[in-house]
Amino acid sequence: MAVNEKDIDSILEAYPAKVKRNRKKHIVIKDSSLAHQEIEANTRTIPGIITNRGCAYAGCKGVVLGPIKDIVHITHGPVGCGYYSWLTRRNKAKTLEDGKNYLAYCVTTDMQETDIVFGGEKKLAKVIDEVVEIFKPNGVTVSATCPIGLIGDDINAIAKAAQEKHGIPVMAFSCEGYKGVSQSAGHHIANNGVLEWMVGKGEMTEAPAKYSINMLGEYNIGGDSWEIERFLKEIGYHIIAVATGDGSYENLKNTHVADLNLVQCHRSINYIAEMLEIKYGTPWLKVNFIGVEATVKSLRDMAIYFGDPELIQKTEDVIAREVARVEPILNQYKKICEGKTAFCFVGGSRGHHYQKLFADLGIDTVLAGYEFAHRDDYEGRQVIPDIKPDADSKNIPELHVESDKKLFKLKISPEKAEELKKKIPLSNYEGMNAEMKDGYLIVDDLNHFETERFVELLKPDIFASGIKDKFIPQKMGIPSKQIHSYDYSGPYAGFNGAVKFAEDVTAMFTTPTWNFMTPPWKYKPMLEGTVEEEGN
Amino acid sequence: MKRDKANYRNVNENPCNMCMPMGGILPFKGVEQSMVILHGSQGCATYMRRHIAEHFNEPIDVASSALNEKGTVYGGEKNRKQGLDNLIKLYSPGIIGILTTCLAETIGEDIGRITSDYRNEHELHRLPIITVPTPGYGGSHTEGYWLAAKQIVSGLARQTPRHSKINIIVPHISPADIREIKRILDRMDIDFTLFPDFSDTLDRPFSKTYKKIPNGGTRIADIAAMPGAAATVQIGITIDDDLSPGRFLEREFGVPLYNVPIPTGLENMDLFMNVLTEITGSCMPLSLEQERGRLLDCMIDSHKYNFEGRSVIFGEPELVYAVAKTCMENGIFPVVAATGSKNAKLAELLTAEIDKYERQVVLLMDSDFDQIRQNSTSAGANIAIGHSDGRYLTEREGIPLVRLGFPIHDRVGGQRVLSVGYLGTTMLLDRVTNTLLENKYKNYRSSMYEQFYHNGHENNISGKILLSGTEG
Ligand code: SF4
Ligand code: SF4
Repeated sequence: MAVNEKDIDSILEAYPAKVKRNRKKHIVIKDSSLAHQEIEANTRTIPGIITNRGCAYAGCKGVVLGPIKDIVHITHGPVGCGYYSWLTRRNKAKTLEDGKNYLAYCVTTDMQETDIVFGGEKKLAKVIDEVVEIFKPNGVTVSATCPIGLIGDDINAIAKAAQEKHGIPVMAFSCEGYKGVSQSAGHHIANNGVLEWMVGKGEMTEAPAKYSINMLGEYNIGGDSWEIERFLKEIGYHIIAVATGDGSYENLKNTHVADLNLVQCHRSINYIAEMLEIKYGTPWLKVNFIGVEATVKSLRDMAIYFGDPELIQKTEDVIAREVARVEPILNQYKKICEGKTAFCFVGGSRGHHYQKLFADLGIDTVLAGYEFAHRDDYEGRQVIPDIKPDADSKNIPELHVESDKKLFKLKISPEKAEELKKKIPLSNYEGMNAEMKDGYLIVDDLNHFETERFVELLKPDIFASGIKDKFIPQKMGIPSKQIHSYDYSGPYAGFNGAVKFAEDVTAMFTTPTWNFMTPPWKYKPMLEGTVEEEGN
Repeated sequence: MKRDKANYRNVNENPCNMCMPMGGILPFKGVEQSMVILHGSQGCATYMRRHIAEHFNEPIDVASSALNEKGTVYGGEKNRKQGLDNLIKLYSPGIIGILTTCLAETIGEDIGRITSDYRNEHELHRLPIITVPTPGYGGSHTEGYWLAAKQIVSGLARQTPRHSKINIIVPHISPADIREIKRILDRMDIDFTLFPDFSDTLDRPFSKTYKKIPNGGTRIADIAAMPGAAATVQIGITIDDDLSPGRFLEREFGVPLYNVPIPTGLENMDLFMNVLTEITGSCMPLSLEQERGRLLDCMIDSHKYNFEGRSVIFGEPELVYAVAKTCMENGIFPVVAATGSKNAKLAELLTAEIDKYERQVVLLMDSDFDQIRQNSTSAGANIAIGHSDGRYLTEREGIPLVRLGFPIHDRVGGQRVLSVGYLGTTMLLDRVTNTLLENKYKNYRSSMYEQFYHNGHENNISGKILLSGTEG
C-alpha cells in the first residue's frame, strides 16, 4: 500500500507551479528511518482551492463558545454567519432544573445595510438588552463576524456597559472571520476569553472532592462526554467542568480548583490548558477516549498521575469489566472490518484519535490529516519553539497570564511532575505523526481536488471526514463516515461508543446497496433460454 | 387580515432566512460546466457549501478567494486573481461566477474592474465570467438567487434572431420539480430553454466515475439565445423588477414576459398550463388532463380531513405564496404565512387571495422563528409547512412539520421532494393530509374523550370546537 514521492508528484502536477510547491510541503509520507519529518501547517489557505477550512468565527463561536449552554451566544453581524453556525455541530446538552439551556437558539443582530454604513453598536446594545430580558441567561457572549472589525464597532465597550447594566457577564470576542488562517485562530480567541472572563469567577477556593478534574476539548458531539463521564465517575473522579460540551458558565467558573485537566482535543483547547497551569498550577494530561485501547491507556495514565493504590485498583476493575463486556461484541464486528483501510481527515485532533478506533477494528488508516491543526499536532509539542510566528498568527492576541496570587496552588511538585512526564503525556502531546505507519500519508488541509485523486490512488474502504467532502468518495462508491457530526449517530467515545461506531461502520460495509452498483446487463445476460430449432 | 410588517424587535431569534451569496450560488449550479468563487474570507464559502451539501447530498465545490487580515487592508485583488488562476487550472470551467460577500463589499472591492483587468491580462475572451454583488447584508438568499440569475442572463444574452423556443425561468425549487416541469413541457411538445437547470447537477445519478463538475445545467449557448425566444414564462411573481431576468429580457430584447406562480396547487397549475397553451398553441395532452383529474379526486378524497387543518407556512416568498394558495383551495386555511425576506409583493398578493375567503391570516415579512412560533400558537396552528428549521415549532409547540423548500437538513431527500404540477401537488397534498391524520390519530382517544365527555355534552353539539378557528 505504501505510496512514493512519484505518486504524489503525479497528483500535484495538475496545480500551477507555485501551488504545487506550496502543497508539497503539506504532504508527508511517513518514514520512521528519518530523524524528523517536518510538515507545513497553519499557513494561509490557497485561494481558489476548495478547502474544508472554516473561519475564526466558526472556531470561536461555532466550536468553543457555542456548546456553553447557560449563556446566550449573540452573533454580531449579518444574518448568514449566525444562521450557518446554528446547531450544526450537534453538541448535546442536558437541561437542568434552572431551565437555562439555549443551545437550540440562534441569536443574531442580523445587520442590514444601514447598520454597516452607520455602525451596529446601538443595535447590538439593544439586542443584548432584549436577550437578557427574554432569556435571563447566566451570561452573554458577543462574537464578531467579518464586517464588524471593518466598520469598527467597539464591541468591547458595548459589552462592558451591558455587563454593568445587567449584572451578568457580557463577553465580547473579536473573532472576525478574516483573522488567522482557519478556525484555529478562533479557538485561540475563545480560549483567551474563557480564561479571562469565566475561569476563576466561581466561589470555590479548593477542590470540592477527591480526584477533581476538568475535561477540556471535549464537545459532547452525539453524547460523547456523557459516555466518558459515566466511567470516570464510577472510578471515582469528580468532574468540575467540561470545556465545553454540555458545559455551563456555572461550572466553568470553578475550573481553577481542579487537581488535573484532561485535554481531549489538543488543537482547540491547549491554550487554556497551558494558561491554567501557569495561573493556577494545574497540570494537564493528554488523553484520548476514542477507541477501547486508547481509552484504557488514558484511564491508566490518569491513575498514575494520582498514584493512589485504591484509585488504581478501581481503575483496573472498571477497565476489566468494560473490556470484558465490549470485546466480544467488537470481535464480531472485527471479522468484517479486519484488513480494510481508511482515510481519516478531520479538524484538529480527531484525525489522530479516530485512527485508534479504526485500529481496534483492524482497519488501517492509510491517509490522515487535519483541517486546521498546527505543526505541534502533527510533530509533537517539542517543535513549538521552532514554529516561527507569521503575520497571520501575530494577529491573534496572546493572553499574558501570571500565577494568580490568591488561587494559585501547585497541584504536584516540580520533581514529581518531571518523574511523571517520563511515564505519561503530562502537559505534553506527541502528535499524530509518531503513531502513523511507514509509507502512509499525512496530508494537511486536504482539499476537494486532492481528495478525489488520493481516493483514486489508494482506494480506501472507508472515508472518514465531514459533510463537505463526504459526498465525493460516496459518489465513487466508497462509504463515508462523518467524524464531525457522526451522521446523526453516536456516541463514539469510550467503551459504549466504540461498540456504536463498530456497529455503524460495519453496517456501512455490509449494506446490500453496494451490490447493485453495476447493472446486471453489464455482467450477465438477463434472459437465459434455448432456441428451439424448427423442424426437429 | 392582520399584517405585521417588520419584526418588532432588534434581535433575530432563530432566523428564517440565509444570506445573499448563499442563494446566488444556486443559479450558477444550474449552468453547464460552471464554477463559483466567493470573494471574501473562506468561512462564508465553507459554511454555504456545508449547507447546500447537506440538503442536496452532493459535493458542492465553491471556491473562495480566502481573504485574510492583510487583504482587508490592502484589498483583495491579488487573492482573487490567484483564486481564478487556480480554479481555471484545476477545473477548466466553461463559465465562472464571482459572488462577493460582506467582507469584499465592506472594503469596497471593485469586482467589475478586477474582473475585466483579469480577462485582459489573461486574454480570456471566450470564458464568461459573471460578477454578482451579493453582500450578506444586502438581502436574503432569495434576493441573492434572483440577482445571480439576472446577472447570468444579462451577462450571456446576445441579440438573436427569433426562434421558436420559449424561455422558462424557474425559482429556487427542487431538482425533482425542475424535472417535472421539463416532463410537462416535453409532453406538450414545447421547445424550451429552462434556466437555471440544476436538476442534474445538484441531484446527479450515481455513476462510478466521478466528475468534478457534474454533467447537466442549462447550456451557455441556449442562455445566450434567450433574447430570440417567442416568450418568457418566469415562475416568479414575487420578485422585484430589478432582480428579474425575465423583465430584463423583455426590456432589452422585447421578449414578452409572463410571470406565473410556482405551479403547485390546482389553480396555479391551471394558470401555468393556460399560459403555456396560449403562447405556444400546444394543447393540453390527455395524460396531463388525467393527472388533473387525479388531483381533483385526491382533493375530494381528503377534504373531510383537510378542513381541520390550520396551517403555518414559511420560507421563500415564491414558495409561501404557492403553498398558501394550495392550502386555501383545500380548506387547510393558513393562519400564519411568513418569510424571512422583505418582500412587499408577497404581502400584496397574499392579501388579495386571503380577502377572497374572508379569513384572518397573520402575514409576517422579515420574520424570525420566534415571531412565527408566537403567532402560530396564538392562532392555533396545527400543521406547519416549510423547511427544516421549522422543526423548532414541532419541538416547542408540538406542531407537526411537512418539510418543503430549502434547507432540509435533518431528513434525506430534500432534492427529491416533488411538489409542482398536478402530480407534485397530489403528492404534497397527500403528505399534508396524512400528517394531519397522523397527528389526529396520535391524540385521538384523549381528545375525543375531552371533547365529548369531559367538557360536558353541549360543547360539541354547538359545533364551537370545530369551527372556532374560522371566526378568529
Ligand atoms: S452574512 Fe456575510 S459574512 Fe456572513 S456568511 Fe453571509 S456573506 Fe458571509
Ligand atoms: S468568514 Fe466572516 S463573514 Fe464569513 S462566515 Fe466567517 S465570520 Fe462570517
